[in-house]
Amino acid sequence: MQEVKIRDKFFKEIENVCHPNETLIKTHCAYCGMQCGMNLRVNTKTNKIIGVEPRYDWPVTVGKMCPKGVTAYQQTNHPDRILKPLIRDDASLKGTQEGFREATWEEAYDLIAKKFSELQANYGKDTLSVFSGVSMTNEKCYLTGKFARVALQTRYIDYNGRFCMSSAAGGFLRSFGVDRGSTLPWTDIHETDCLFIAGSNTAECHPTSMFRVWHVQERGGYLIVADPRETPIARRADVHLDLRPGTDLALANGILNLLIENGYADEEFIKNHTNGFEETKELVKEFTPEYTSQITGVAPEKIIRAAEIYGKAPNAVVMFARGIEQQHKGVDNVSGYTNMALVTGKIGRPKAGVATFTGQGNGQGGREHGQKSDLLPGYRKITNPKHVEEVCKVWGITPEEMPQPGVSAYEMFELMEEKTIRGLYLLCSNPAVSAPNQNFVRKALKGLDFMVCADFYLSESAEFADVILPTVTWSEDEGTVTNLEGRIIKINKAQEPLGESKPDWQIQAELAEKLGRGKYFSHLKTARDVADEFRLASKGGYADYYGATWDKIDEQDGVFWPCKDEDDPGTPHMFLDKKFYHPDGKAKICALPYRPPAEEPDGEFPLRLTTGRVVFHYLSGNQTRRIQFLRDMCPEPYVEVHPETAAKYNIEHEEYVRLFTRRGEAEYKVKITEAIRKDTVFVPYHFGHEKSINLLTIAALDPMSRMPEFKACAAQIEKLDMKKVQ
Amino acid sequence: MKKRLYLELENCIGCRSCLAACTQCGGHEQRNRNYVYDVNPLVNRQTMPLMCLHCVNPACARSCPAQAIQIHETGAVLSALVEKCIGCQNCTIACPYGIPKFDTEQNLMYKCDLCIDRSKDGIPPMCASVCPSNTLQWLTDEEIEAKQKHFTLDNGKWVTSMPYLEGDTNVKVNLPGILQGVTKLF
Ligand code: SF4
Ligand code: SF4
Ligand code: SF4
Repeated sequence: MQEVKIRDKFFKEIENVCHPNETLIKTHCAYCGMQCGMNLRVNTKTNKIIGVEPRYDWPVTVGKMCPKGVTAYQQTNHPDRILKPLIRDDASLKGTQEGFREATWEEAYDLIAKKFSELQANYGKDTLSVFSGVSMTNEKCYLTGKFARVALQTRYIDYNGRFCMSSAAGGFLRSFGVDRGSTLPWTDIHETDCLFIAGSNTAECHPTSMFRVWHVQERGGYLIVADPRETPIARRADVHLDLRPGTDLALANGILNLLIENGYADEEFIKNHTNGFEETKELVKEFTPEYTSQITGVAPEKIIRAAEIYGKAPNAVVMFARGIEQQHKGVDNVSGYTNMALVTGKIGRPKAGVATFTGQGNGQGGREHGQKSDLLPGYRKITNPKHVEEVCKVWGITPEEMPQPGVSAYEMFELMEEKTIRGLYLLCSNPAVSAPNQNFVRKALKGLDFMVCADFYLSESAEFADVILPTVTWSEDEGTVTNLEGRIIKINKAQEPLGESKPDWQIQAELAEKLGRGKYFSHLKTARDVADEFRLASKGGYADYYGATWDKIDEQDGVFWPCKDEDDPGTPHMFLDKKFYHPDGKAKICALPYRPPAEEPDGEFPLRLTTGRVVFHYLSGNQTRRIQFLRDMCPEPYVEVHPETAAKYNIEHEEYVRLFTRRGEAEYKVKITEAIRKDTVFVPYHFGHEKSINLLTIAALDPMSRMPEFKACAAQIEKLDMKKVQ
Repeated sequence: MKKRLYLELENCIGCRSCLAACTQCGGHEQRNRNYVYDVNPLVNRQTMPLMCLHCVNPACARSCPAQAIQIHETGAVLSALVEKCIGCQNCTIACPYGIPKFDTEQNLMYKCDLCIDRSKDGIPPMCASVCPSNTLQWLTDEEIEAKQKHFTLDNGKWVTSMPYLEGDTNVKVNLPGILQGVTKLF
């Protein structure tokens, strides 16, 4: 049996401060996959959340939080909260914030039921769609999948994880036969000897990993970072592989080639536990340091040094994030870097393995339980009759009633544009900021016959809705989420829902009733009811949560899936028995031919545009842009330009310029920094309307994960007419 | 066991969580009291916090004609007492690091008090509690000594400018360069 409670060198027994007339509610952050532990401070007279207190007893983050986490509590009682359902009768106002009037839940539900039924009567069941997200509990994610397929009876459901974790999922499924974001707990990370981190701006996107990262170096271990920018983590790396955006696969192949050539391959491990080595070895031969350097722009010496360090390290962890995954070869990049661990056998034991930095709070759990167009709870396939049968039993429908697989997130907008989809139920997501090729996406949203948006703020996407349903924030409901380690944790309720807002699961159960599908939902009266059904629905699947009861989560500081039954403590380390999840128990070393980005720079668009996050904002910024501290720290987007490039364009620091691609344009303030490649510009993506960088990004999709290529496209800068600026 | 604030400047990632957290201390009225600077903004992303060092013989308190700046028994140099501060701003000029801030509306100086309602009981101040990179730590003298041994440079020196500008300080600072003295594992 594996160790259950993990207490490492950073864990200290510290008492919390609790002020008079306050109680502390243990929970986790609302935002990223780190899911930092926190206590919400609740005033016992007003019963309102008033602040935050560190949660020193949470073993992963021991009290630490980034500025988003520290200020997350300010969302709950924020003046921008939507407190009542809103209806807009004048469809010509779509795409603006105008025309909404307050309504009762009854009126809103009746209108939705009427419109949805009419649309389905005229155009078939599949004319409706659900676009969801994973910044919410497993219970909500699970029920959203059921809501789409059982209440709305449509095949078209997908979610924002398509823009986030889908490539990691695809790569892990191909390499390991299972998609758990990390093969080891985070409490191992500081004890490894080498961290190889590709495409992760860890210090800004997963800041509370940093004390563990720095500790590797403090112990004399090595840090290797692959990133086109010298991010705060790359600044201190032993080797910074400053590659061109979109060339990761060449780098991964190049390093693999050196590992094999220089005798770092673990032949025993390869023979006993993997397939595919020989073809891969042949394929990567071409990727000499010189050839790899030509493609990636990284100096050959750096590539050689990185391979040498990783090869020599007794233990090493390969980590990556959206930088490599948000490409049209994201899945290949994931398998490519994963090859390093499989060829050297640095996996399946403590302190060695592979991990992706999951973006959203429940990016892991939310992708496992049926919000994806082709998946059902427990990571089951909707195309597998046995899987369908298992889920149908729990749902109480027949396999014939189970809808077919749908299409991916971006492809749903294409179907809206061609009127195959005419109705949308949007929740927990803001695609009018976060999807690529915004001009197209916004047009598709505007053209819908009827759109419902469930959210707690009026997001840019809600501006296209006919009905807005007020949901609760994370602090007004309870349930589980699965953090970036694959650890199932508990979110607790600290305050009653503000105004008339309701949790999504309740809204969906009530709406199902109005749609005449109440019998499948009416037993779900509390979040715990949903949790019980969800655990049962996951039972027997790859992502088996059956044994992860709320009590066990509490006792053990979370439960790592798979956790099959009451006696199973869960699985902090994957593959300790060297058994992978492919039918023959072996992992797959993948031979992956290199493909350049979908759009390469040319004379007209000579620059490479890449996008990403800043530490002060989360995803589309719908939440964080409303928090004063975060807004003060980063009020608007900017374009990062190398000083030599800036000189060529005759542009200066803090001047506004026009940045454009074949798809769109926007004006940004210039931020000059030497910490970026000369051929690359960077813009953070958290901003909406005319400031959204996704007006410019390309919708080239990965053939397997359908992930858009947010991280690389061709762009050009134009100096603005100074008069126009003033 | 007495603990103190200890800074490893090289670790800072510029997240400003220390500033956000400062406002969460019960006595801080939602105003942060410290600073984070971009060291070389047009060149790289190095940042560093500038915290009150809680000088053993603090210039701010010495300069105060009204004795509004008290020193707590733990050594923490407290924020100005509302009833004593006359708003002369001597302290803001006297402090070699420009730490004390001034509220012109209240005509009152305010500064870091090491979250005295926490630190007096050995609980880390808010900034050191949340700092994701361990730039700000809350350590015993033994732990600090161990750090000193671990980070010895070739020249045998502890990477710090102590004694700092203003004599001895209760807060200990390790200046950038921390990794120079570390022996690599392989
Ligand atoms: S946003 Fe992420 S790193 Fe920051 S406090 Fe929340 S969970 Fe932690
Ligand atoms: S919290 Fe720590 S890492 Fe962040 S700015 Fe402050 S000192 Fe630097
Ligand atoms: S650092 Fe400045 S404010 Fe702090 S104790 Fe010393 S003199 Fe006073």
